[in-house]
Amino acid sequence: MIDALFNQPDYLAAKKQLDAIALREDAIASNIANLETPGYKRLDVTPEFNAQLQRACADGNSQEIAGLNPQIAVDPNATAVSPDGNTVDLDNELLEMNKNSLANTMETQLITTDFYRMRMAITGNAG
Amino acid sequence: MIDILSGVQSTAAALDAERTRLDVIAENIANANTTHGPDGKPYQRQMVVFESALKQAMNGSQIPTLQVAGIEKDTKPFEMVYEPGNPDANSQGMVAMPNVNIHEEMADMISAERAFEANLAVVKNSRAMALQVLSIGKH
Repeated sequence: MIDALFNQPDYLAAKKQLDAIALREDAIASNIANLETPGYKRLDVTPEFNAQLQRACADGNSQEIAGLNPQIAVDPNATAVSPDGNTVDLDNELLEMNKNSLANTMETQLITTDFYRMRMAITGNAG
Repeated sequence: MIDILSGVQSTAAALDAERTRLDVIAENIANANTTHGPDGKPYQRQMVVFESALKQAMNGSQIPTLQVAGIEKDTKPFEMVYEPGNPDANSQGMVAMPNVNIHEEMADMISAERAFEANLAVVKNSRAMALQVLSIGKH
C-alpha cells in the first residue's frame, strides 16, 4: 500500500533525475581530471535519457520511468580544443558543473516538498 | 563500493597526478644550472606523461581517471655556453647547460596549478551536492 505513494510519476522522475545528476557529476569530474590527457574525449550523460524521461513523464507512465537507466558516453558534439585531440574545455566543464549543482538543488527540493505534502496529507498538520 | 561523493575517484587521482607534475617541475627548476649530475653529465629535463585509466563508476560502468604513465627525460640537446672558467668546460671552453627553460617551466607550473584548482572545485561542488542529497526530507 505504501508503494503507491512512491510510485507517482513525478516522484520517480525526480529520483531518476538525481541518478542522472550523480552520474553526470562523475562524467564532469572525469573530464576535468583529464583536462590535459592527450586524445581524451569528453564524456556526458547520453541525451537520449532526457528525451526518454520527458516522453515517459508526458505519458505519466510510472513503469517506463522506473525502467530508465542513464548512461555515460563520449559526447559526439564536442570539438577538439587542443591539437592532441582532447575535447575538454575547462570553462565549459565548470559551467556544466554549476548547472548540474543547480539541477541537484532543484531535484532534492522537489523530493523534499513531495515528502512534505505527503506528510501533511497523512497527518493533517504542516509540522 | 557506493560513493557518496560522486566523481571523487577521478578527482583524487587527478590531484595526485598534478602533484607529481608539480614535483617534477620543481626538480627541473632546482636543477636548471646543474652541469654535473651524479652520472657526470648535465641535468636532463624531465617531464610527466599523463594517461587516462578506467575505474569503476557509480552505476557499474567504467569511467576514465587520470594517472601518470611515466616520467620521461626530455631529449632536447643541451645548450652550449662559452664559460672557460667552469670546471665542466671542454677544451674549447664550452659548457653544456641543462636543457631546462625556466620560462617554459614557469608556464607549465601555472597550468598545473590551475588544473589542481579546477579539480579542487569539483570536490567542493560534489560535497555541496552530497550535503543537499543527505538533507532530503528535512524541511
